[in-house]
Amino acid sequence: MALHDSVIAGYAETPIVVGGTHDLFEMHADLTEDLLTGAGVDKAEVDGLVMASSLTGTPTPFWAQSVAEMLGLEVDFLDQVQLGGCGPVGAVARAAMAIDAGLCEIVLLLNADRASLSMDTWTDMSFGPEWVHPYGQMGTPGAFGLLSSRYDHEYGLDLEALGKLAVTQRGHAMLNKKACAKLRTPITVEDYLNSRMISEPIRLLDCVMPCDGGNGLLMMSRRAARRKGLEKFVVPIGYAERTNHNGSDPLPDVTDTGHRIAGAKALAQAGLAVSEIKSFHPYDDFLLAIMLQLEMFGFCGKGEGAQFISKTDFRFDGDLPLNTGGGQISAGQVGAAGGGTNLVEAVRQLFDDGGARQVRDTSNALVTGIGWIGYGRNWCTSAALVLTPDR
Amino acid sequence: MKTRPDGGVAVDHQAPDFPSEPTPRSTFTKEYWAATRERRLLVQYSAETERFQFFPQPISQGGARRDLQWREVEPVGELFAYTVTHLAQGAFRGSVPYVVATVTLDVGVRMISNLVDCPAERIVIGMRVRGTWLPLSDGTHLLQFRPDETVAEVAS
Repeated sequence: MALHDSVIAGYAETPIVVGGTHDLFEMHADLTEDLLTGAGVDKAEVDGLVMASSLTGTPTPFWAQSVAEMLGLEVDFLDQVQLGGCGPVGAVARAAMAIDAGLCEIVLLLNADRASLSMDTWTDMSFGPEWVHPYGQMGTPGAFGLLSSRYDHEYGLDLEALGKLAVTQRGHAMLNKKACAKLRTPITVEDYLNSRMISEPIRLLDCVMPCDGGNGLLMMSRRAARRKGLEKFVVPIGYAERTNHNGSDPLPDVTDTGHRIAGAKALAQAGLAVSEIKSFHPYDDFLLAIMLQLEMFGFCGKGEGAQFISKTDFRFDGDLPLNTGGGQISAGQVGAAGGGTNLVEAVRQLFDDGGARQVRDTSNALVTGIGWIGYGRNWCTSAALVLTPDR
Repeated sequence: MKTRPDGGVAVDHQAPDFPSEPTPRSTFTKEYWAATRERRLLVQYSAETERFQFFPQPISQGGARRDLQWREVEPVGELFAYTVTHLAQGAFRGSVPYVVATVTLDVGVRMISNLVDCPAERIVIGMRVRGTWLPLSDGTHLLQFRPDETVAEVAS
């Protein structure tokens, strides 16, 4: 038994909107209906539910239980994965673990949030109130402002390269009907450079827009997938995560992230070199995060992200397709469920359901997560998930 | 930076009009805040790992022991990173633009703080900075930093 003995049998995603009319429960009902009818699975067969965090849902510590009750799901395994933006990819590994341990066999993975309504529904129980808030750091853009400043000092920050990422992802959002309508207008590198300064050098178009929406997966044991006669599914073949990377070092290299460790581990488990990755779906809360991940996963050397970006075609039909649904930056960030947006897009591509933005080579995909922000370094949790189709 | 078409925005404040209400504090940081009443900086030191650590934490960060010492250190160091805040939240809205900075103290820890009394065009990563204390309403102080005028400026 191993990670790859569980499969992803289906995916679902709501439209990404601002000021949506569906509450969280209704979004979860939409996802559940799509996942179960799509795969031909009866609700009574579902014996597991794994949910990510939700800024607007998880202020109750009874969130996953509330959703199970609302959806009429009677399950033998229930979990709520509190890893911030790593929650949805972390949920894949945890569902596989539960299946592997024989605790359940068919699992719904559901994520939804309504970040366009409010981002302030949660309580910051961390170093934040005592050691950061008194200085007026502007939330995550402020933390990325500091990180960008240091990156600039060490390697030089090439804004044209970051702008290229913004433009490529926006082009992908134009081909994605589920992307937030407000963001589905073309942009240029100049638009990026001239966008409003938030926390210098972080500009508006470096950032995500808070939106409402949800996404989900249906996972099951390979044996159950065979029994159900499913012909097409996607298999997790490598997963790793690292939390509080360099946390005990009082003077860490802030441009060194947990993806260096998690990436190497997940790729080794998958038996792949990074050069063999066919499409890349990195968690994108900021453009800089994409560049740092290109470096940490080893697509290029440390500090060489901009050169790599300049010479690589990241379009869906290019050298290394990148966030082919637009990523969170151009499709909209559905709060803490946003870690599922690029994940579902990768699964969709491996199912050959990419439509107008279908990637050519669907032999594998690398999806990542970034969760929460540590003190004075970069993010707290880094996750990496390698997927491959199995037909 | 290779490109900054807007040329950046000058920061002309001397000391931003920051909120003076203290924020919630932990049970294990009383010594830190008490010392700030006298404008003294205490940093935790772990004898187990022979390292300083910041922010104050309830256990040695490199080890497992809780017998941390509070050592008084000079609030001097160098600028590690900075960001000019143009869009602020809550009580800071009226203070923009202001500078949030990471400072590496000479004892070997980093602090998130503010850089004040320094026009944006004079900010250079690596510049020497010295602590300055912002009074809070409960008599404690918030440690901020300003250019250290006791050192000669490095010729550029």
